[in-house]
Amino acid sequence: MLRKSLFWLAIAIILFAFTFPVFWVYVTSLKSPDDIFGTGLIFKPTLYNYEYIINVRPALNELLNSLIVSIASTAVVMAISVPAAYSFARFNTGNGHILFITISTRMFPGVVAAIPFFIAFRDLGLLDTHLGLTLLYVYFNMSFATFLLYGFFKEIPASLEYAAMLDGYSRIDILRKIVFPLIKPGVAITTMFCLIWSWNEFLYAFLFTRRIARTASVGLSTFWGSVEIQWGPMAAFMGIAILPTLLAAWLMQRHIVRGLTFGAVKG
Amino acid sequence: MAQADTPISQPKSAEKAYKAGWLNHRLNKDSTAKWILIAPLVVFLILFMVYPTVYSLYMSFTDYIMRGAPNMVGLDNYRWLMDDPVFWKALQRTLFVLVACIVIELTLGLAIAMLLNRDFPGQDLVRGLCFVPLLISPLAMSLMWNYMLHIQFGVVNDAITFFGLPAVGFLSTQGLAIWSIIFISVWQWLPFSIFVLLAGLRGLPRDQFEAAQVDGVPAWRVFLRLQLPMLMPLIIIIVLLRTMWLMRLFDPLYGTTRGGLDTELLDWMIYRTSFVEFDIGLGTAYAMFALYLTLIVCLLMYKRLMAAMNRG
Repeated sequence: MLRKSLFWLAIAIILFAFTFPVFWVYVTSLKSPDDIFGTGLIFKPTLYNYEYIINVRPALNELLNSLIVSIASTAVVMAISVPAAYSFARFNTGNGHILFITISTRMFPGVVAAIPFFIAFRDLGLLDTHLGLTLLYVYFNMSFATFLLYGFFKEIPASLEYAAMLDGYSRIDILRKIVFPLIKPGVAITTMFCLIWSWNEFLYAFLFTRRIARTASVGLSTFWGSVEIQWGPMAAFMGIAILPTLLAAWLMQRHIVRGLTFGAVKG
Repeated sequence: MAQADTPISQPKSAEKAYKAGWLNHRLNKDSTAKWILIAPLVVFLILFMVYPTVYSLYMSFTDYIMRGAPNMVGLDNYRWLMDDPVFWKALQRTLFVLVACIVIELTLGLAIAMLLNRDFPGQDLVRGLCFVPLLISPLAMSLMWNYMLHIQFGVVNDAITFFGLPAVGFLSTQGLAIWSIIFISVWQWLPFSIFVLLAGLRGLPRDQFEAAQVDGVPAWRVFLRLQLPMLMPLIIIIVLLRTMWLMRLFDPLYGTTRGGLDTELLDWMIYRTSFVEFDIGLGTAYAMFALYLTLIVCLLMYKRLMAAMNRG
């Protein structure tokens, strides 16, 4: 009995620690400018902050930019990573060296790659464009997507494919009819991760966009002005910007335990 | 209209069929298929990896300041870097944050994973909620923690003063600010360790543990001798990925101290040098140094990981 209540106490503490800041985003977003610096849960809720980010400082455009860039970059990443991961998993292409180089793109301190890209984009006129940011996010997500998918492809036994080949299936048929149905959950999880990471990305968006292609993350940082931080409208903007990721967390949690192992563990 | 089109389009489709046949044929051969499938990735790698590396390396030998033509200055930037106490301090701090975060995350992560490694009512909901910090925008959460940890109106300090203790300037005190940044990073990434280790624990074969239990081996020895070694590949994965991500810690700094109060980390320093002071030459020199360091560390771990994965 004591063990059981201790267990639930621990669970409660963990859940509280993980979810309280998110809860507080929404609490803060309902506070009027007077209540922001006051404390506690007792205040008169108001939609002032939400009106502010709709009328006074519209945020819709930034959310739209985030959406465009996230979807476009994820589509390109998947088109590149799925075949590549299959090739790595099935044929061990490049004996692991190319796979390591792919993964190592994520080892670049973000700013390292940003400097050459910034100069190149400036000369090509790609600064502050959707295309430019999309390309950066492809670079940003490609390596991890390939690594994740590599794990999923590794789980499919090669003998399945050889059997199909003996039955006279062509490679394209094998990919379409045998491999793809098995890899679907892996593709779904990887897609979700790419979408979320592009959506959340800040550094590149901050360095490479100004007005036209400014994303939600950068928009969020503009509430930190030179004079004061507008906590209320910022929290309202945050509340809207994190909504899709909360939804994704809900959708993903069932598959996630499997997905995050990269196929490293065989049960 | 459609009929008139048919004879014209026929050769085209024949050509297409021929081409598809050619591609099909190539794809059916393993030796060519693997390169065709990997080609787009390789193109992107060359464009987005080889080019920036080579360009940065070149820039690190120049005095480029975003305008005019770059002049070669030889090893001047590297000489400056070697004698720059600010740089070494930032590097030291980065490594400190790296080790602190990984140690805390692995310890807490393993403890929580073992706690969650059982069937209990509402387990899906609990796991789903635990996953939340990992997916939420790091910048948004850093800003939120900045608000919550504020010395005057932060909710955390409300709780502290409620118990009659003095308010703490988590993000406005020298020495404490870096720990606040470590805390924010751990809060965000702890679920990653939890879920990877939980998956590992679930995948462990049961019979060995039952055998050990029957033999009366104490639980802590079972943990040290059986569970921990079996979790090793996953622990290496976590360390590898977290090293890569922590070397480029930027958002929590931007959302809180912005490099002040002794919290300047390597990535922030490169950013400041290159994009605030426009000293591209020195910035790329710092960057190249950071890159080599990360590459060496990660290559060593990657080797161990691949060995561990192929063994399993």
